[in-house]
Amino acid sequence: MKMKQLLKMGVLASVFFTAPVALAETLLIKGAKVITLSDQGTLQIGDVLVKDGRIAQIADDLGTMTADLVIDGRGKVVTPGLIAPNSELGLTEIGAAASTNDGAIEDSSIGAGFNPVVAFNPHSTLIPFNRAGGVTRAVVVPNSQQKIFAGQGFGIKLTGDFDSVTDRALLQKIYFGEYGASLAGGSRARAYAQIQAALGQAKEYADNRDAVRRGEWRDLDFSIADLESLQPLLSGEQSLLVNADRASDILQLLALAKQFDLKLIIEGASEGWMVAEQLAAARVPVVIDAMSNTPTAFEKLGARLDNAALLHKAGVTVVIGGPGYAGTHNSYLSRQGAGNAVAYGLPFEEGVRTITANVAQVFGLEGGVLVPGGAAELVLWSGDPLEVTSFAELVVIDGKPQSLENRSTRLRDRYLHPGAGTGHGYKK
Amino acid sequence: MALSACGGDKQDKSDGADFARQGAFPSTYKADEAAPVLIRGATVLTGTGEQLNNTDVLLKDGKIAAVGEDLKAPKKGMVVEGAGKWVTPGIIDVHSHLGDYPAPAIESSQDGNEMTSPNTAEVWAEHSVWTQDPQFALALAGGVTTLQILPGSANLFGGRGVTLKNVPGRSVQDMKFPGAPYGLKMACGENPKRVYGGKGSAPSTRMGNVAGYRQAWIEASAYRDKWDNYEKNGGEEPDRNLQMETLAGVLNGDILVHNHCYRGEEMAIMMDVAEEFGFQISTFHHAVEAYKVADLLAENNVCAAMWADWWGFKHEAFDMTEANIAIVDQAKACALIHSDSAVGIQHLNEETAKAMVAGQRAGFHIEPRHAAVWMTLNPAKSLGIDDVTGSLEKGKMADVVVWSGNPFSVYSKAEKVFIDGNLMYDRDNPERQPHSDFELGILDAEGERLPEGGER
Repeated sequence: MKMKQLLKMGVLASVFFTAPVALAETLLIKGAKVITLSDQGTLQIGDVLVKDGRIAQIADDLGTMTADLVIDGRGKVVTPGLIAPNSELGLTEIGAAASTNDGAIEDSSIGAGFNPVVAFNPHSTLIPFNRAGGVTRAVVVPNSQQKIFAGQGFGIKLTGDFDSVTDRALLQKIYFGEYGASLAGGSRARAYAQIQAALGQAKEYADNRDAVRRGEWRDLDFSIADLESLQPLLSGEQSLLVNADRASDILQLLALAKQFDLKLIIEGASEGWMVAEQLAAARVPVVIDAMSNTPTAFEKLGARLDNAALLHKAGVTVVIGGPGYAGTHNSYLSRQGAGNAVAYGLPFEEGVRTITANVAQVFGLEGGVLVPGGAAELVLWSGDPLEVTSFAELVVIDGKPQSLENRSTRLRDRYLHPGAGTGHGYKK
Repeated sequence: MALSACGGDKQDKSDGADFARQGAFPSTYKADEAAPVLIRGATVLTGTGEQLNNTDVLLKDGKIAAVGEDLKAPKKGMVVEGAGKWVTPGIIDVHSHLGDYPAPAIESSQDGNEMTSPNTAEVWAEHSVWTQDPQFALALAGGVTTLQILPGSANLFGGRGVTLKNVPGRSVQDMKFPGAPYGLKMACGENPKRVYGGKGSAPSTRMGNVAGYRQAWIEASAYRDKWDNYEKNGGEEPDRNLQMETLAGVLNGDILVHNHCYRGEEMAIMMDVAEEFGFQISTFHHAVEAYKVADLLAENNVCAAMWADWWGFKHEAFDMTEANIAIVDQAKACALIHSDSAVGIQHLNEETAKAMVAGQRAGFHIEPRHAAVWMTLNPAKSLGIDDVTGSLEKGKMADVVVWSGNPFSVYSKAEKVFIDGNLMYDRDNPERQPHSDFELGILDAEGERLPEGGER
């Protein structure tokens, strides 16, 4: 990292260099509260040593060790980097500008086979902005305006580098509930039948691949590309991420997952608390918007602020995504959602887990915990990481401190004292 | 009731015609008689920029009776032990669509946007408000005591907004804030040109937008002059025109302009339009680029209502900085938070907190006592009701929130919300948590939407 960038990072007041190197190979954070979410638990005061992109050591006191970059973490908190569970990072720039959106297709012919990974733009302005908010990884998921099958999602790191895609085909996204019903022709029953038929025929195709390809099999309703793309679901290599909010919808999906032996993840789950026991028994995790408590649809009449707490209490693995109203642009606000979930009964450490460790675990990603030998993806927070008044002072990905500058901070600095004239145009 | 200079019951004073028609659908809100309330020993953010530690607040006859130390407990009434708790004025949201875009959001309930003509100044949001929207109670649990319901932003002139007290009501008149001036919703930028351009009619560009405003103000000026002439010289009474009445009400200062406007350039233009036709813009809403023209806002005495961090959903929302509110504030313009969201309205304290910290990180010295003004007194100014609510000053309406802790913490909750001295919400007492008609017998035929004790 360039010196100039480092100096702009804002943490430099409390940073001192022990060796005149610009590129930190070793990084030592001293005296911070360290929430590891691993077997080491939470260290009220601890040191974290990062070496060559991995966590080298975590201990109460590593002594006066030499490192390329030493950061005074006293009064601050270290957590694993945040992971956005359901973003469109790198696929969208401006919601209402069609040309800047690559997350959905109008031509439905490839349905389940759609994978927008080649459209991913690591230089999107949303990436440095969310990185500055503490997001180090994200699951990128397509959406759909025509068919209940939206396509495949992938995993990224928020380095902004061209090689920042980490997992190319993580999951298949399907819509159920009210929206799925509208896409399927007007009824949940039709949506369910379509999912069942697609999975059934994918199985039939797998068992009779050669015959189907030779045209010696009955006509199937789905293209070979679609049926191929469903194979990782059936083999358990991919997860199935399905939107559903109503309790009865969730139960139907649990039955579906059982029928096809799927790795199901429910997204939405506003009424998840009503069927928390069943979700827990089926070991099906949920991705929720913890701040969504308005009965804004009939399928969300049971929406409530302690949904996360009730689900967790029943033994369901809970993941929290950014508040629905803020969308992909503010994926980092998942921590405000987690803060609200804690305010309404979720244990604090579990709150941190819902936006880090649980996301990694549910989607099968690296990161999410701090453990020696593990990925050095972490955030040093000015205070309680779930507080709206705290902010990320240092964001580390692959062991490297990341720039925290973005358009928001650049615009802020340019217009700090607005006034007449042309001078602002010469401020960098 | 005395209201501030920028609006209110001016029709009593002005000699001209009654364009505002404050009396057409008058407020029937009447606060229940309130027993005195003493909140003892709390941390008080007054809404005027002060923080008072270990201080008492006395509510009497629906008004703030005193704020100070060692106040005497009323003989008959409620005492709230305030140790560890914080007190603020009720939160005021100047931009809401509750009731007009209610929950559940089904086709037949979309009553907030009369998207049939670029100028629908003749429609009044209050005629759409479904008072049984269950979202009002959720906003109350977030400490919101007053809110302005606006029509949507498809039109150059969307229609009149209405300011409500956040109280249950059978009719919208039961909720109307007594004496509050009407607001006219105007919209700049992408929405009107998209909606009407998409239909192949004007406006289809930003310049088309401005031509539309100016043409309408020319007509409204003529309408006002016609009535003024009639009032002065008599003759044949002119025909009434509902659309023109609203615009003429703006021209004579009785109706406040609430202008959805994101961009710095457009805000500057709109202030020139106001200058050309001799009216005042009360507030720019969704003012994502207010920070670029903060000095102009201050010069022209125009408020900016902003989000803490929304951005990117359209091009005119692309140039966001989280320091927006702080920069506008430090430039001595009237800065305030707003929601435009049924979820956001429940967390305006958190939104204010984020804006405060962004300001601190920008290098400004901003403390909670000052940031509180962004969610109380400045919104009251924007609505022209700041001399009766928005701060904890003697004689003002007893619209008060008792928080479990610092309201700028994500963990703090509004515990008790008083409106005109009445306990309208009590987190500890399900009996004092309003439920709209919609919530009865839904999900549970014998119960309410959520089981008792459920965190709504």
